[in-house]
Amino acid sequence: MTSGVSLQDVRKSFGNVQALDGVSLEIESGELIALLGPSGCGKTTLLRSVAGLEQPDEGRILIGDRDVTDVPTRERPIGMVFQSYALFPNMTVRQNIAFPLTVRRRPAAEIKARTDEMLELVNLVPQADRYPNQISGGQAQRSALGRALAPAPDVLLLDEPLSALDALVRTRLRDEIRRVQQLVKTTAIYVTHDQSEAMAIADRVAVLNHGRVEQIAAPPDLYETPATQFSATFVGSRNALELPVREGQVSLGNAFSVAAPAGASRAMVFFRPEDVEVGSNGVGHPATVEFKIFLGATSRLHLVADSDGQQARFYADLPSRRAVALEPGTRVSVRVAPGDVRAFPIGG
Amino acid sequence: MTAAAAPAIHRPRSRLNRRLATQVFFLLAALYFLLPLVAVLIFTFAGRWTANILPDSYTLDWWAQALGNPDLVGSFWTSIVLATGTAILDILFVVPAAYWARVRNRRLRPIIELGAAIPFCLPYIVIAFGILQLSGIVVPALQGTFLLLMLGHTAIAFPFVYWAVDAAMAAAGVERLSEAGEACGATPIQIIRRVILPNITPGLVTGSILAFATSFGEFAMAQVVGRGVRTVPIWSAEALRSYISAPGTFNQLAVITFITFALLFVLSVVIVYLNRSQTVRLVPGAAEVGEAERA
Repeated sequence: MTSGVSLQDVRKSFGNVQALDGVSLEIESGELIALLGPSGCGKTTLLRSVAGLEQPDEGRILIGDRDVTDVPTRERPIGMVFQSYALFPNMTVRQNIAFPLTVRRRPAAEIKARTDEMLELVNLVPQADRYPNQISGGQAQRSALGRALAPAPDVLLLDEPLSALDALVRTRLRDEIRRVQQLVKTTAIYVTHDQSEAMAIADRVAVLNHGRVEQIAAPPDLYETPATQFSATFVGSRNALELPVREGQVSLGNAFSVAAPAGASRAMVFFRPEDVEVGSNGVGHPATVEFKIFLGATSRLHLVADSDGQQARFYADLPSRRAVALEPGTRVSVRVAPGDVRAFPIGG
Repeated sequence: MTAAAAPAIHRPRSRLNRRLATQVFFLLAALYFLLPLVAVLIFTFAGRWTANILPDSYTLDWWAQALGNPDLVGSFWTSIVLATGTAILDILFVVPAAYWARVRNRRLRPIIELGAAIPFCLPYIVIAFGILQLSGIVVPALQGTFLLLMLGHTAIAFPFVYWAVDAAMAAAGVERLSEAGEACGATPIQIIRRVILPNITPGLVTGSILAFATSFGEFAMAQVVGRGVRTVPIWSAEALRSYISAPGTFNQLAVITFITFALLFVLSVVIVYLNRSQTVRLVPGAAEVGEAERA
């Protein structure tokens, strides 16, 4: 029933813009993979190539064992959910969900049974006979999900399905999509520019930049060990400092010292705000609290420290209860465990 | 009007004034459009009409004569068939072309736009002689026929249909709907028939009525291309010329003018009605507002 997807050196350019610059990706059967990246990174082009809505200039696309590179969209075993819902305004929710089955000329009884099953699956039984303009955005996107899954596709394609929704609906629907995908066990490709959405929903996340896959990893691995500087900046909120390399080491005073990337004279180091240990016992490197932002359970300190005569600015997140006394101007000492610091070379 | 004004008492004065201004404007506009029609209608019933503002006597003779005049009734039906055929041909040509130019090959759009400007840059009479020359070379058998005239009208009326249909396609977002249809496994014909057409109905109606009206009232091309085809404008021109010898034809002309007006008016009302229901259907959140009010 469901099968994996294999992308082999897929390339596509629009005029001078190289949208896909040799993307190869193996997606396991039943896996939900998120394509994550900033706008213009090629993630939507990649998804549309799998759908057949874009024709790659080079490379092959396989769904299961079948090469679909030259197969028209309507003959590919796919279901697709669009950012803008793209429900048919002239049809009710039920008719929308039934549409992929009616155009395939399935028997009426089968259409009815399958549509009922889908309405049940996406929790839209009460809204079944409403028109798209009579339902909310979240309901519209669930209808679109039902429509995409109705013909039992091998691959479910989701193009930023939550972008048009407000924050509250977004997390609910995100979990809903994951629940449904796990239930029907279909292979899914999910395009998003929101890293927390990608982390929350995907089995693996592929980070795309300039039409290339920068890294592909399970969310915890991606979060903890970004493989490239781009992954490090794009995933999670990180402190980024540009520091000189001395004797093979890159360090911020006594706060941390890690091995420098080979051959670099300067390095970009990344560390998470929650990994900064803030103390007043003098262990580490002196820093001054510039200001403090209360975020609920945690507070974020904006710190400034002296580094080789330069000012280095970074954040530290700590439990709000421990940040009570740390008013602006307070002198503190900071440390970061070397294992939490990642360094990437700058320039040649 | 009293019912509408009563709750407005509690509103700020400026809003009341604005509403009054709107109503006055609407009334003036209605007068401007309806007065000529009313004048024509009165003329169809006028017996003797001297220097008074209204006729001295009334009669049904003109209606009886007009409707009993085989020449006039014949040209009326000729025009109806011609205009209907023009509208249908235009829809058949324009819908697939506009769809293709939007969804498949956007580079066609400037070419179509340019083509749509031609009937406005060149007088119809010039186009008519062009068609006459070209058809003389390519299909001489068609010259002077009803079919050639219908094709000519299709050519000059197509911009109206194109603009109306293209705007409706933009409003419906046919590119997006078309991709969704493809992803659902529908063939291009299934997409056009089941997804695109039902969502561009207002544009189809508007466009076909404009094409109908253009063809119905067209004179120059009917004169040049369709020699032998007697349309209402051709009959009217002859009626005007014979005014002195047969004074009654003027009143008959008024009868046919009024019928044509009434026909187009009914058609326009249909358009407005269809457009309104469509707007309600497409505006997002319109339903929620309705529900909130009911709750």
